[in-house]
Amino acid sequence: MPPYHLIEPARLLVELSYTLIVVFLCFRIFYKTKEIYDLTKYEGVKYFRITFLFFGLAFLFRFLSVFVMLVGMTFDLDISMYLFRIFPLVFNGYFSTMAILSLTYSMIWKEHQVKNILIVSNAIAIIISGIAFFSRSYILIIGAQAVLLIFTITIAVYIYSISKRISQTFILYVLFILFWIVNLFTLGPQRFVPFVIQTIFQIISIAVIGIIYLKVSKWTK
Amino acid sequence: MDKIKRKRDRLEMIFDILNIIRNNQNSIKPTPLLRQSNLSSQSFTEYLNELLEKDLIKEITDENERKFLTLTDKGFKYLDKYKLILGFIEEFEL
Repeated sequence: MPPYHLIEPARLLVELSYTLIVVFLCFRIFYKTKEIYDLTKYEGVKYFRITFLFFGLAFLFRFLSVFVMLVGMTFDLDISMYLFRIFPLVFNGYFSTMAILSLTYSMIWKEHQVKNILIVSNAIAIIISGIAFFSRSYILIIGAQAVLLIFTITIAVYIYSISKRISQTFILYVLFILFWIVNLFTLGPQRFVPFVIQTIFQIISIAVIGIIYLKVSKWTK
Repeated sequence: MDKIKRKRDRLEMIFDILNIIRNNQNSIKPTPLLRQSNLSSQSFTEYLNELLEKDLIKEITDENERKFLTLTDKGFKYLDKYKLILGFIEEFEL
């Protein structure tokens, strides 16, 4: 009988709770904004919705990676490399990159329209997840998305410098992306972030997405 | 900033056109609608096509083959939810 008490129940419970809450909020945001998009077909709303759909999916695959990692460590099992380790990595990389790119574009599309943006975003996301597939590592995904985050901040600061204000919403977006990247560190082989620190980050990121959800709810009765 | 204003104006124009139709007992011919909307003929045609495509309005023909424009359920919903829509777009700076 497997020694279940060795599965680090605290860690598994925290990860499961965190994932359930965040995925629920992401999908709820996607669902709640459906009517506004159906009525207006407004581009900004479209990319806003896509962002949270993709983040929800990314968090799901992130949890799958964490779960497989914990089970493999606890039972000293040689978990099938491809099915349970590589594919969550690839899908995680794809969905999270699409989410970050969609969020960035939702902020800048009014000023800078990119032709065939979905094709461009998909191409970038596929390249990054392809690199993840061949490298078998989250480190490159972390690096690529950190670059995207810096790019997002740079573009947004430039645009907001023209309007002479940094909005609360922009700050929320940056925090959300930042905490997502921090979450990826827990999947790296060296586990840079101690469990307690990671839990604190997760609580704060739940608060961030909770605030976004409340703001969405205010306008989507 | 002009582009932001232009995108928001588009939603506002759609609201204005739908409101005109509603205020005319939900039935108006295209020509009076054009006049009341204060749009150029080309712009009006663009908006009209957009509204028909988005199923916010529909065309009906009476027994004398005269065409009228009316709101769909979706069009009524757009009018009801307009302030919330604008509020959402402004809140998230979309």
